[in-house]
Amino acid sequence: MSAALDAPERPAASEAFRAVSTARKVKNQLATVLVTLAFVIAVIPLVWLLVSVLIKGFPAIVSVDWWTKSLSGVTPDQARGGVYHAIVGTLVQALIAGIIAVPVGIFAAVYLVEYGRGRLARITSFMVDILSGVPSIVAALFIFALFISIGGLSQSGFLVGLALVLLMLPVVIRNTEEMLRLVPDELREASYALGIPKWKTILRIVLPTALSGTVTGVMLAFARVMGETAPVLVLVGYARAINFDPFEGNQASLPLLIYTELSTNPSAAGQLRIWGGALTLILIVMVFQLAASLISRYSAISK
Amino acid sequence: MRFQRRAAAVGLIAAGALLFSACGSDNNSGGGSAPQATGVTCGGKQALKASGSTAQANAITGFVNTFEQTCNGQTVNYTASGSGAGRNDFTGGQTDFAGSDAALSSSDLPKAQARCNSTPLNLPMVFGPIAIAYNVPGVSDLALDGPTAAKIFNGTVKTWNDPAIAALNPGKTLPANPIVVNFRSDDSGTTQNFQTYLNAASNNAYGKPSTQTFNGGVGAGARGSQGVTDATKNTQYSIGYIEASFAQKAQLPTAGIINAGGGSPVALSTDNVGKAINAVQVTGQGNDLTLDLNSLYKTTTPGAYPIALATYEIVCSKYADPQTGTAVKAFLQTALSPQAQGTLTSGGYVPIPDAFKQRLSTSINSIS
Repeated sequence: MSAALDAPERPAASEAFRAVSTARKVKNQLATVLVTLAFVIAVIPLVWLLVSVLIKGFPAIVSVDWWTKSLSGVTPDQARGGVYHAIVGTLVQALIAGIIAVPVGIFAAVYLVEYGRGRLARITSFMVDILSGVPSIVAALFIFALFISIGGLSQSGFLVGLALVLLMLPVVIRNTEEMLRLVPDELREASYALGIPKWKTILRIVLPTALSGTVTGVMLAFARVMGETAPVLVLVGYARAINFDPFEGNQASLPLLIYTELSTNPSAAGQLRIWGGALTLILIVMVFQLAASLISRYSAISK
Repeated sequence: MRFQRRAAAVGLIAAGALLFSACGSDNNSGGGSAPQATGVTCGGKQALKASGSTAQANAITGFVNTFEQTCNGQTVNYTASGSGAGRNDFTGGQTDFAGSDAALSSSDLPKAQARCNSTPLNLPMVFGPIAIAYNVPGVSDLALDGPTAAKIFNGTVKTWNDPAIAALNPGKTLPANPIVVNFRSDDSGTTQNFQTYLNAASNNAYGKPSTQTFNGGVGAGARGSQGVTDATKNTQYSIGYIEASFAQKAQLPTAGIINAGGGSPVALSTDNVGKAINAVQVTGQGNDLTLDLNSLYKTTTPGAYPIALATYEIVCSKYADPQTGTAVKAFLQTALSPQAQGTLTSGGYVPIPDAFKQRLSTSINSIS
């Protein structure tokens, strides 16, 4: 601040403006073209994907039955029934993952930012990095080995939720960590100066300040795990009827429905269900992302 | 103020969730629901779990629809995860029965015996004909026999006007273009059965192992039956093997097959495949109905179409939980009923001919 005010008020030694050389103009143009091109190349597949899923899936999702009925009693070549059972499964399994991963993730992030010093913090941080690189099939097989092969449990939606926890945790931890680090130290210091203990400072000052970013991150983590296919292939069986109970029996989910129709059903109705299922999954993920941005807008601390 | 807003948001989500969970329904009646089967003793476990072969998944769907209509409150959840996964799930005790493109192998048998604590049974419940589909402009009703098909799929016969093909198709103009072979790039029971057929029907002129991967060494791979279907449809002068239902739906022409008994080419049809199934020999002991696939592929019965994928239900002869046994028996009885068999043709499967149905019925009724 003070440096700018004290700056001497005399003209610069050399001429301030010079004509831009042609070489620099060309370089500028070239760079602009290349950057724009890179952007267009990056956007093409995205737009292409969205448009083709929208065009091919739209006829499926406009019927009321699509959102309110299961596929129970529908033969593969009948264009009837809906994916309600799969939506239920997807949401229930993601919810289980969220109930476990969100508190654990937030507490781990609080530890890393506020308390973590020395070896344990370094190890934790390192392990989170490793966990974020674990492919979903490995997470699924780990749960399979631990709970089904060794534990003797049977396949269920709950185990899918557990596998999703492993995929969700690093996202939640890393994001919350970033958000907590963004909280200015002045706020903490002001709180300490008023004689407020550390835990209360974290609970009442740090977490609320970082809330909007944290919630956004959690929503994005939900959106990320809902499309995971590997855990549902390994850890749960497909069912064509509605099953709300994640602990008992088979439970459908949107990725599993898409996979099942893709591998078994060549009929037009099956193709329609595949595209409709993909579009439904995209829509649900979009709703979560939309909710994330709304929450972050409305729950932001007013300055 | 903010707490109110947050509470409102939570309330909204909860209300939405409640509304969403209240409006779902399994009731899809109204579009002509499946008819009830007769001669079925219902009861036992309410929801059976099964997994395995994708090739029979649609047949099972038809059976399950009839089963749900016949036995109130009972159902089967079938996961189409592939034959190998199905057998593993079954021997691992995850499922009540398995759907499989092959009978239990000698290495799986002890595991299945340990799981059942009784003899496991291989029941060939679903037969799906395999079509040799082709896309050759100007050629319809192509005829092939085992040795020639083997030579095409191992690359010995390279062009459509090869003398071997011409000899089987007198009077037809065959183009001089090279043959493009389409095969399944993923592991598949269809590939295994088709290669077994090629080896059996050509007296090993095919000369490649009959595994789940295609070993012909020619052509282009495509993923899944749908992939091979699309590839054949989009590539002129190509040929591929797919389940009959895929060829039907894509309206691809399929080759007539001259079976090991000689004679005229046999078109792919329900009746013609039924003739081959009725003549098949069983190698299984007692109630186990493991098939001698050679007797199917090398059938000499006139008018019998020899290439069919036989898919099994692998069950226990005696279940540790009698409730499960009762339900499995009820489901398989339903599957054999005329009502359930009637759902098969639209999926490209062949209903089980009456003579063979008797043998299956005896085995199924012995399950407890």
